[in-house]
Amino acid sequence: MKKIFVAIALAALAIGWTCPRVSAQDQDNLSPAEHKRLFREGAKLWPIYCNTCHNARPGSEKAPYEWNLIIMHMRTLANFPQQDTDAILEYLKSR
Amino acid sequence: MRQMREERKRDREEIRSLEGKVRQLESKDSRVETTTQQLQSTDQKLKETTLELQQTNLKVQTLQTKVDAPIASSQFGDAVQQYLGSHSFTVTGAAGGDFIYDQQSGALDDLHHASQNSFFFDWEPMVLYRPADWILFEGVLSTAFGSSGTGVDLSLADFQIFLNKYMTVVAGLFDQPFGDWYENQSPMWVNRFVTAPLPFGVEPVVPPAELGVQLRGGMQFGALGQDLDYTAWVGNGPSFTSPVLGAIVTSPTAVANSQTNGKSFGGRFRIYPLPVDTEWGRLELGASTYNGKWMNGNWYNSWGVDFNYFIGNLQTRGEWVQSYRQMPMGQAADNRQGWYVQGGYFLTDLNVPFFPDKLNSYVHRLEPLVRYSGVNQRGVSTDDIQAATGAGLGGTQVGLVPDFGINGSPATYAPHAREVALGLDYWIAPSIVWQNELDIELPRAGGVFVSPSGAQTPAGSIPNDRAFLSQFTIGF
Repeated sequence: MKKIFVAIALAALAIGWTCPRVSAQDQDNLSPAEHKRLFREGAKLWPIYCNTCHNARPGSEKAPYEWNLIIMHMRTLANFPQQDTDAILEYLKSR
Repeated sequence: MRQMREERKRDREEIRSLEGKVRQLESKDSRVETTTQQLQSTDQKLKETTLELQQTNLKVQTLQTKVDAPIASSQFGDAVQQYLGSHSFTVTGAAGGDFIYDQQSGALDDLHHASQNSFFFDWEPMVLYRPADWILFEGVLSTAFGSSGTGVDLSLADFQIFLNKYMTVVAGLFDQPFGDWYENQSPMWVNRFVTAPLPFGVEPVVPPAELGVQLRGGMQFGALGQDLDYTAWVGNGPSFTSPVLGAIVTSPTAVANSQTNGKSFGGRFRIYPLPVDTEWGRLELGASTYNGKWMNGNWYNSWGVDFNYFIGNLQTRGEWVQSYRQMPMGQAADNRQGWYVQGGYFLTDLNVPFFPDKLNSYVHRLEPLVRYSGVNQRGVSTDDIQAATGAGLGGTQVGLVPDFGINGSPATYAPHAREVALGLDYWIAPSIVWQNELDIELPRAGGVFVSPSGAQTPAGSIPNDRAFLSQFTIGF
């Protein structure tokens, strides 16, 4: 049982580590049209996703660099899909 | 002849004189040429200097234009970020102060009781540190001035490593990923009530936290908003205060102090079936498990289901939790169930006709709430009740007392506790709230009290207590 567990865990980590990562730098290199698309999507998701657990807080409450950290914390906590996390971050940072 | 010689002499002198004049003229011409060249060179330099001056003027004008123009926020942000460095850091969390009035209607069997009122304060800073865009450190300290004076506890401390779009590893001390309560609803500014629902309060049915490793992630399976997510983990738990019926699960600190070979593991799966564009609201359905061995060989198995639905101003949520604990020395299994269901409605759109606008603007900030929660278990440990409420000098039982977010009613420690909580929140800002809660403990008989030696005595009826809690909270 333990061996199966360890094997599954190691396999999952190996798959995870070798898959391409998505970083914040990728978002900085997006085209203006892509930024607009993310903003529109973020504006739809922000009131829904945030209000699922707590009141949605406006982007102006925090500095953009702080949202970079908080969105990582929220992505883990709520298990947001990556593309939705990017959209909400775009919306929050536009303030 | 002589005359001719004199003429020749004069001619020679004249020639010499003329040659001298010619030399003088040649010398003067050379100087004129030199001066002309110098003048030309100076003129060239003057032209170059004039050009440089023009260029400098142009640059000054450009800079002046830039200085006069307002700086773009993105440029400012980039500059600040460059100044601060690539590692970033921030502090969030929450702070709150509350007043609790607890009217204890009767003793829980022979335990001392007394109605009381007290103020409490709690501050829970959360540190987020981001060394790179694929890793985050998160730490939460819980500092409180409560019934036993000031205290500091480590609530959370973990690394979050973002492997890819679908996988995140969390390693360290983390809230139990079981249902929604511990991870998502327990922060004081997120919880709509002051207290926790009974299955997650003073007698938790599942452990509140774990020391271990998680693998988690989420993905979209349909339209925007149709998501599913998973969490799988292994950890050090579970652990109980004693090997008797009704003993409560302990914190990860206690688990760390009583290391055993019985590790724990579990998983949670949640689905959000409603697309955002349909405007049908947000529905979450979840299922969780927790399994592990305690005292090296006895199984503790639990499972739970939860839901959360909100649309417009209405929000509802609920959870059901079931646990089975294998007991040592041939005792019958310790089985427990717990549940809660709650609902709240923001009065944002309510305009009372005869109220002035100013008064209606206050009404719009109100959120009335109701919650029903309960726990079923055959017995509770009297040792746990005393430990939960503290003992005075010489070991004298000082009574069941409130603490920050705990109403202190004896009824909440009973084997078959039932509670109706009525709430009225006044939202000053999205994360600043004044919360008011009235707890009504419902009488219900049954169960046993278990002494530290394991002796069981029938428990009397649950006291019909009342408590009022008022709390001001800021999430930051």
